[in-house]
Amino acid sequence: MTEDSDKPKDEAGAADDELSEAELAQLDAEPALSALLKRSLAEPEDALPEPARDELLLASVQKKLRKRSKGKFYGDGWSTTQSRLNYALIAAVMLVTIVAVYLALGPTGFSLR
Amino acid sequence: MALPDELEAKLIERLAARDERAFNELVQTYGRRVSALVLRMLGNKAEAEDLTQEVFVQVFKAIGTFRGESKLSTWIYRIAVNLCKNRSKYLRVRRAGEQDELEAVAERVPLGEARRANVAVIERPDEALGGKQVEKIVQDAIQKIEPTFRECLILRDVEELSYEEIEQITGLAAGTVKSRIFRARAQLKEIVERELGEKIG
Repeated sequence: MTEDSDKPKDEAGAADDELSEAELAQLDAEPALSALLKRSLAEPEDALPEPARDELLLASVQKKLRKRSKGKFYGDGWSTTQSRLNYALIAAVMLVTIVAVYLALGPTGFSLR
Repeated sequence: MALPDELEAKLIERLAARDERAFNELVQTYGRRVSALVLRMLGNKAEAEDLTQEVFVQVFKAIGTFRGESKLSTWIYRIAVNLCKNRSKYLRVRRAGEQDELEAVAERVPLGEARRANVAVIERPDEALGGKQVEKIVQDAIQKIEPTFRECLILRDVEELSYEEIEQITGLAAGTVKSRIFRARAQLKEIVERELGEKIG
């Protein structure tokens, strides 16, 4: 199957034999083995806390996408590290700076003399 | 792990529009589950980390083709399972190659050194078969069973998915899914009991 399709295919599936009535009855009859498997494959404790692992995964995926899209995605360096809030903050700071410069140097500005 | 339908529809819409922040949300929502599934399937942390990233790269590339015939989570799981299959195949071939190299090296190692090496790997006799060791035996055993059986068993017993969800993810018929789970448990039980030297359950 390709990942492009919603419809999965498994050619080997057709060759699998069906279970007999007796086997079907036994299918979920051994909870001890399932419990042991679940316990054994429980998510291992990691040196990194979960939020840090999430961040690391996201950063790695972004890096791969940036590289493979030749910078088309996640290419500006902002979207990978900053939230939209920073854009607003920078815009506000710029606005205040422009107003201050205008007040200082514009027609009504303060004179040094 | 699934999002509510309404939220999922909005997320898919934003993803299809290549909204990078939507994709960040997707990775944050599904990353942990995908990462755990991949690790269970492959049994190798470094490979699992790399493959988890690859799953999301594929999701990003293919999101435009997602037609909503299944849940988004099921679709992501399907991509993960398929990539795991391919990676497992690749790793088996690579391991076989490494084994050949090891055997070639072993033939060149002097007998005395080989004896010392053997002594070093014998388990300490004071180590009892504790819970951790039993878990290790099961972890090793799951990697020894037929890969096509293993994926169904993990999806059922560890991920706790329904038979219908497993059918959707693997593309197998209902009878085949049940048959593979049954055979997988039988193989696993046999290997674990042989290693433990006692019956389970």
